Formats: sequence, structure tokens, C-alpha cells
Amino acid sequence: MNKKLLKRNKFYDKLAHYVITIGGVAVILSVVAILVLIVRVSLPLFQPPTSEIVDHKITVTEPLAVIGLDDYQENVFTIDQKGVLSVFSLQGQETVPPVDLGINHDAHIIFTSRSRTEYSLLWDDGRLSVVGISFRPVFNAEGTRSIEPQIAMQGEYASLPTGSPLLQSFFATSVDEDAPGTVRVNLHQDNSVSIFRTSISESLFGDVEETDESFVIPAYFETISALALSEDGRQLYAGTGGGTLLHWDISAAPVLEDTVPAFKQPITALGMVFGSQSLAVGTADGSLTTWMGVRDSDQSTTKKLRRIHTLTSHDSPVVAILPSRRDKSLLSWSAKGELHLDHMTSERNLYNFALGSVSLASLNDRGKGLIALTATGVQLLKLHNPHPEVSFKTLFGKVWYENYDSPEYAWQSSSGSDDFEPKFSITPLLFGTIKGTIYAMLFALPLAIFGAVYVSQFAPPHLQQIIKPTVEVMASVPSVVIGFLIALMLAPFIETHLVALILCFLLVPLCFVGFLFLWHYGQRFKAIHEMKSGFEFLLVLPVILGGVLLSYYVSPFVENQFFAGNFTQYMFENIGATYDQRNCIIIAFGLGFCVIPLIFSISEDALSNVPSGLRHASLALGASRWQTAWRVVLPSASPGIFAGSMIGLGRAVGETMIILMATGNTPIMDWSIFNGMRTLSANIAVEIPEAPVDGTLYRVLFLCAVLLFGMTFIVNTGAELIRDRLRKKYAQY
Amino acid sequence: MKNDNRNAIIAIEDSIVQVRDLNLFYGTSQALFNLNFDIPRNKVTALIGPSGCGKSTFIRCINRMNDLVDSVNINGSIQLDQQDIFDKSVDVIDLRRKIGMVFQKSNPFPKSIYENVIYGLRIGGVTEKPVLEEAAEVSLKRSALWDEVKDRLHDSAMGLSGGQMQRLCIARAIAVSPDIILMDEPCSALDPRSTAHIEELIRELNGEYTIIIVTHNMQQASRVSDLTAFLYEGELIEFGKTTDLFTVPVKKATEDYITGRFG
Repeated sequence: MNKKLLKRNKFYDKLAHYVITIGGVAVILSVVAILVLIVRVSLPLFQPPTSEIVDHKITVTEPLAVIGLDDYQENVFTIDQKGVLSVFSLQGQETVPPVDLGINHDAHIIFTSRSRTEYSLLWDDGRLSVVGISFRPVFNAEGTRSIEPQIAMQGEYASLPTGSPLLQSFFATSVDEDAPGTVRVNLHQDNSVSIFRTSISESLFGDVEETDESFVIPAYFETISALALSEDGRQLYAGTGGGTLLHWDISAAPVLEDTVPAFKQPITALGMVFGSQSLAVGTADGSLTTWMGVRDSDQSTTKKLRRIHTLTSHDSPVVAILPSRRDKSLLSWSAKGELHLDHMTSERNLYNFALGSVSLASLNDRGKGLIALTATGVQLLKLHNPHPEVSFKTLFGKVWYENYDSPEYAWQSSSGSDDFEPKFSITPLLFGTIKGTIYAMLFALPLAIFGAVYVSQFAPPHLQQIIKPTVEVMASVPSVVIGFLIALMLAPFIETHLVALILCFLLVPLCFVGFLFLWHYGQRFKAIHEMKSGFEFLLVLPVILGGVLLSYYVSPFVENQFFAGNFTQYMFENIGATYDQRNCIIIAFGLGFCVIPLIFSISEDALSNVPSGLRHASLALGASRWQTAWRVVLPSASPGIFAGSMIGLGRAVGETMIILMATGNTPIMDWSIFNGMRTLSANIAVEIPEAPVDGTLYRVLFLCAVLLFGMTFIVNTGAELIRDRLRKKYAQY
Repeated sequence: MKNDNRNAIIAIEDSIVQVRDLNLFYGTSQALFNLNFDIPRNKVTALIGPSGCGKSTFIRCINRMNDLVDSVNINGSIQLDQQDIFDKSVDVIDLRRKIGMVFQKSNPFPKSIYENVIYGLRIGGVTEKPVLEEAAEVSLKRSALWDEVKDRLHDSAMGLSGGQMQRLCIARAIAVSPDIILMDEPCSALDPRSTAHIEELIRELNGEYTIIIVTHNMQQASRVSDLTAFLYEGELIEFGKTTDLFTVPVKKATEDYITGRFG
């Protein structure tokens, strides 16, 4: 019997051992698994781009003017110099009969340019043809897909009656609803530039009227070697052989806005970056830079061209620069056949192919296929670079974005337009996280710790039994409720009573100090002297309430007398500080409300668990309650209080709902307590619903999660180390 | 047994504490019944009696440590130097500075040995370093700990042995120069050697301080004390010279207890 019992005990002991071990290991494993999972999602951000050569059977016999690849990477189209458009499958078969775009069969194409999906072809007889080429998938009855080319002649412009022969010609269509129309810009052999604009206006009655205008920009003293026209046809840029960059506003009569003689080399190629905000400039020594109009100062309205990004240089003169139609990437190639794909924002050199010689090249619209015509024939490459805009610098450094006056840390992940430059700086989010946490802890720590000291050391026992559970109930209030209350009730209240709040911080301590004097003199009165210790708060409470009420009633007077009737306005005018309704004061209250119960509860436990022998020893030596609490109990409980504070800190760092509702979520970097911020956690919550799976934003958000994980890990590890030292120092027997 | 124990008052020429009609209640249950006796100045008085007889409760009345227990009610008086310590005008902090206490379980603060000894002076507002250092040395010498710790005064007190800790607590009590030292079973958690050490110390302090010691150990009471009080179920059964009480007890209960018939 006894042996049986022994055996059974042993069995249960073993069972418990295994269950507990499995539980512990499972916890560690699941934490590691979560980390691995989020790291794995964010890791592709940093993977280098890859490419893959695609086999094909396309051969080219005629000299070409245009070569292109469809988005599905199944069709290649070419326009030869005689104007014949052919579409090939990768097997080399023509999928549709060739289309002859030319009218005059003796003419040859001498220059081509592209704006959106329109190719403009300049013939040697001076005519200009504009042809739109696009592809779309078609499904037949069996559901198999084929890609059909859509070829549309957009316009045919006759040769110019006068003027010197043409070298280059550009064409753009304005898609602006208010000012639709087309623009044709020509570069002549005599170095002059002519501009033809057709504006379409619609009268109130729906009559469509076309007006034609033409302008001539006289020959510049340096040879114009490259031209670029913005997609809306309003901005014209020219580069010269003498290394000068010129910019005209041609939305009406041409106005020379800028002359930048910054290049010691002839400019050999120009190209508009997708979105037509930035201009890429290539020079004879192979350098590749992007430029953009920037205001000189806050007051000025004119913009001057400034160099913003410097991309990887080529080994020889840059021959051509083509923008990606997908993002801010640029395809460029040099005389010696070096083909680069660079991303403007991140300044990353994504691809660098040495192809010997490149006569034509093109990216497909999705930016995933590259086709190049080289000495050895047609080269077809499949590209895999899903996150070209991400680099260490764009994530953590200052970047000079389009339409910004200076480099900034900015977070703006999306916008209404396709040609938007995404801004993925995590720095303001880290900043916001730290800022919110600091203000919250400044508010919560003293309240929670002193509250715990009062309850554990001073309060009468039956009061203790009420206060502690009450504070702990606070912890169970859902954070969304706290967020709702402080965002919709506290924030507007504080906005209107800001001066009263600030006065509170002044008047309440003053009232309290005054009370202490009264208390001191009041000792001679029997009623006060014999008051049961622990109930002093009954006397203090009205004093503090009085301070608050006093602040409330005095504030309108103070505001009128000293702050010209409106404190926030006064603050803005005199120290330039703006006041947001959702700001760090609100956050301090809200986050404080949510972390105080945690810190309070753990600290109170730690304080109460200090052996009573220590308290008694101190009291028996004639120490007052405060001396005992301050010199003996607090140091002894410090490891526990510290741990509680760190758990509170961890909660504040990760708290999402309150921040989300009450900060305004503005990713700004400003220490002002009157401004809001955006934290890592709130950022994830705000943006994840609009982040396409596996897109850059999605992965950057996971990176935010990794950082958040890392931050809390560092905080907790650091806290544990410090706590361990404290525990050794104040070890109890 | 609830007889009149006024006859327990024995003639003491120079008493420091006079206990008069002391009753103590924990809530509704009474723990001390009508205690009346005087404690002589600069002598060692031992309190003996079985567990739960109210010895510790009694000495905690003397420095009003019972104030910390919410449910305690006291009537009667304890006079210290002709002043009732329960009077509302008495500052409990002053009172406790006059009365040192050594607890059953040694309770040094988690601070250095030096800081432990001078704690009472520090909270009393003494800041001059020479004064503090001298007080520390004198107290440690008086408590016979100096030779053992003089080279590591600034090490943590937690590194001392149990006996050393208890002597440190005595040094800490002595440092504020109290009139009375209360010892609540100071040796109950110590090995015989450390106990001998403490007892020797008590004998050395005898004559300089009024010491009131609670003990379970009757041999100890007979070894260290001049007078002994026997408490039983909250009542003072017998009080007299230690030699008399252990040799010719007046009361039957005392005799039963000291001869080991109960307790």
C-alpha cells in the first residue's frame, strides 16, 4: 500500500514536472516563433534585387526606332525606322499582322519620345506621328487568356512650313480637366525651340472650341543637347553642351525660370521622373543626378532648381534616361553599354548590367520586365525588386522628398495619386513612441508610487482594503473606453480650460504648502493632534479641491489679463508653439490612467512585502513613519517598484488604442507637450488595413512591429538586469 | 486564579517604570489582566511564562509598538519617569528614542554595518561625521562586535552570522543611548554559542541600562536577570528577585512552571 502510494506520488511528480516544462518551453517557443514570423515578413525589404534572363526566339532584322515589352512579359513590340509596328510572342511569332504607321513610305523615323502610353515618332520629312500602344488581356470562350495589342493613332502632325529642320520633337497631352489640350515641342537644327499648343475649351453650352498658339524660343548661345517635357506639357527643360540646365514654364508664353550652369560637362540626356516633379540629368562624364524646384526660403513663392539626389554614375556618357511608369525608378544607359536601374528616393542602384552596347531599352509598365536591344540582339530580363524605395537611409534618415523644402524625416505611406513618392521614415514613429511614453511615465510614476507608499505605509488598514482593489479595477477598464473618454470628453475640456490646468499645477502645490503650515500650527488643537494617523487626507482633500476650483475660477481672469484673452493664440504668437487638441497632456492622462494601476499594484505588493521586522526596527528606533518609509521600506522594495515601473513602461510603449484615439496620429517630431505624435503601435493599427499584402508598406509595418518588439525587449532586459542588481543590494535575509 | 495580584509589587527603591492596572484587549479578547509592578532602574528584569501569556505584548506596550496594531485597546497606565506614556501629549517618537528594542528575529536593515548602527542617530538629525563614527565604534565595542567587523564596516550587514546580526541590532539600539532596552526573546533563533555571547553581553550591560528581557528559557532568565516576573494567561503571577523566584517560588503555578510541569 505504502509502496503504491510512493509510486503514485512519484508519477504525479514526474507528470507535473513534464507539464510545467512543456508549458515553459512552449511559451518561449511561441515568443520566438512570433519574432521569427514578423522578421520573416519584414526581411524581404532588405533583400537585394534579382534578375533572370528570359529565353526567347525574337530576332530583329530592320534597324529599330522603338522597342517595348507588355506588362505580362508575353509580347514584344517593335517599330522599325521605316515605321512598321510588329508584335511578337516570345517564340518569335508575330501575333498580329504588322501595321505600317508611315504615310510617306520613303520617310524614316529619326527621333522618338514617350509620354504616358503615347509614343511620338518624328519622321525625317518633318512630320510627327503620335501612336498609343497598350496591351490588354482578352479571355475567349474557353477561358484562356491572350494578350491583345491596342494600337491607336492619336494624331498626325504635318511638317512645319517654315523654320530650320527638326532634330527632336516631343508631344504631351494635358489630362488636366480644367485645361485640356496638347503640346508639341520641337528642337530645330539652328538650336531654336518651337512650341505648338492646342487648347480645348468647352463653352457653357457644350460647344468645343480649339485654339492654337505657337511660340519660338530663340537659339540659346550654347548648343541644346537634350530636352525634356513634363507629362502635362507645361514645363520644358533643356540641357546644353556647355553644361547648363535651362527651365521654361511653357503653360503660356515661354518664361525662362531657371538657368543652372552647374555642370562642367555637356549634358547628354534628360528625363522626367515619374510624376514629372523631378528631372533626371545625365552628363558626358556619366554622372546621373535628379533635380527639382525648391523654394529658397519660406516666404518665396518661386522655385529654383536644386540638385536633390545623386545616383550611381556610369562609366561613359549617359545616352538616355527613361522613367519607370511604376515608381521613382530610372532606367539609363551609357555609350559603353552600361545599363542602370536606379531608384531616385532611396538612391539605390538596383541593377547594373554591362551589355556591351545598348541602342534601345525599355521597362514595361509594371517595372518587372526589361528589354534591351544590344549588339548581340534582343535581351529580355525578368526583374524582381519589390521594394526599391526602401533603404536604411529612407527608413531612418532624412530624405529630401519631392515638394519638400529640405530633407526631412517623414512618414506618409500613401496618397490619392499613382505617381506619389512614398515616405517611409520610421524615425518620427520611434520619436513619437518615446515621447508619448516619457510624458505618460512622468505623470504616472509619481502618482502610482506615492499612492502605493501611502496605501501600504500610511493608510489605515480598512482604507487599504478599499483603495487597492479599486485601483486594480481601474486596470480592467478597456483601453478603448479610456481612449474614447479622453479623446471625446477630456481633450475638448482641456482645450477650453488649458489655463486652468496650468494654474492647477501652480496653485494646488501652493495651497498644499499653505496647508502644511496650518497643520503645523494646528497641532496645538486637541482635535487635530489626536486625529487618527492615516486620515490626514480628509483634511487635505478639501484643500486640493479648493486649489482646483480656485484655478478654474481664476483662469478666465488670468487669461484675459496676461494672455490677451486667448492663451493658445498668445502662445502661438509669442513663442510659436501650436496647440493641438489631441496632445501629450491628454496622452499623459490617458496612458497614465492605464499604467497607474499596474505600477501601483506591483509597487504596493513590493512595499507591503517588506518584512515588518524592518519597519518595526526602524519605528522602535524612533523613526517617524515617513523616515521609515523613505529610508527603510522604499529601498528594500525598490527592486519590486522598479519592476512595476518597467512593466508600466512596457505597457505604455505598446499601448495602441488610447494613442490611436487621442493623439491625432500626426507623425511629427516635436517635443512640445501641446502637440500630438504617432507611435509605432498606433501606426501599425492605422495603416495595416490599407497595406496590400507583401507590399512595401505591409513589410515596413512589420518592420515597425520588429522594432516595437526590440524596444520592449531591450527595456525589459535592461530592467531585469537593473532589478537584479537592486535585489542583490537590498537582499533580505 | 484571577486573584488580587497587588501583592506582586515588591519594594523597589529606584524604579524606572511603574505599571499600574494595565489591561490590554485585542478587539474584544483581553490579553493582559490588571498588571501592577515596578521595574528597577539599571537592572535586568526577565519576563517568563508560557507561549501566549502576554510577555511580548507587555513589553510592546512600553515603547508603544502596539500602536501599530489597529485593534489594540489599552487601559491603565505605564509611568516612565513619572510620565504616563499613554498620555496624548507624549510624542511616541521621543518615547521610542528613549527605549531601544531588540527583536526575536534579528532585523538589520539592508544597509552597511556602519549605516545600521548609526541609523537611529541619522534619523535623529545627527550629520557630523566624527560624531557618527565615534558613536558607531563605541556602540559596536559595547555590543562586543567591534573586533569582528571593524575591517568591514561598510559591507552589507546581510553578510553577518545570526549571532552577529543580533549583536548588531543591540549595537543599533545602544547607539541612541536609550534609558531602557527591551529584548523580545533575543536568543530564540540563535545557536547555543551565540546565545552565550548575547547573555554575556547582557550581563555586561547590566548596571548601565535598564534591560527588560522576554525569554522562554528559564535558565537564561536565571543567568542574566536580577528580577524575574512570571506571567501566566495575561496575569502577573509572581514577581521577585530572580534567585528567590527560582529557588523558593511563592505561588504554586510558578513552581509548576519552573519545575517543568507545564509550559
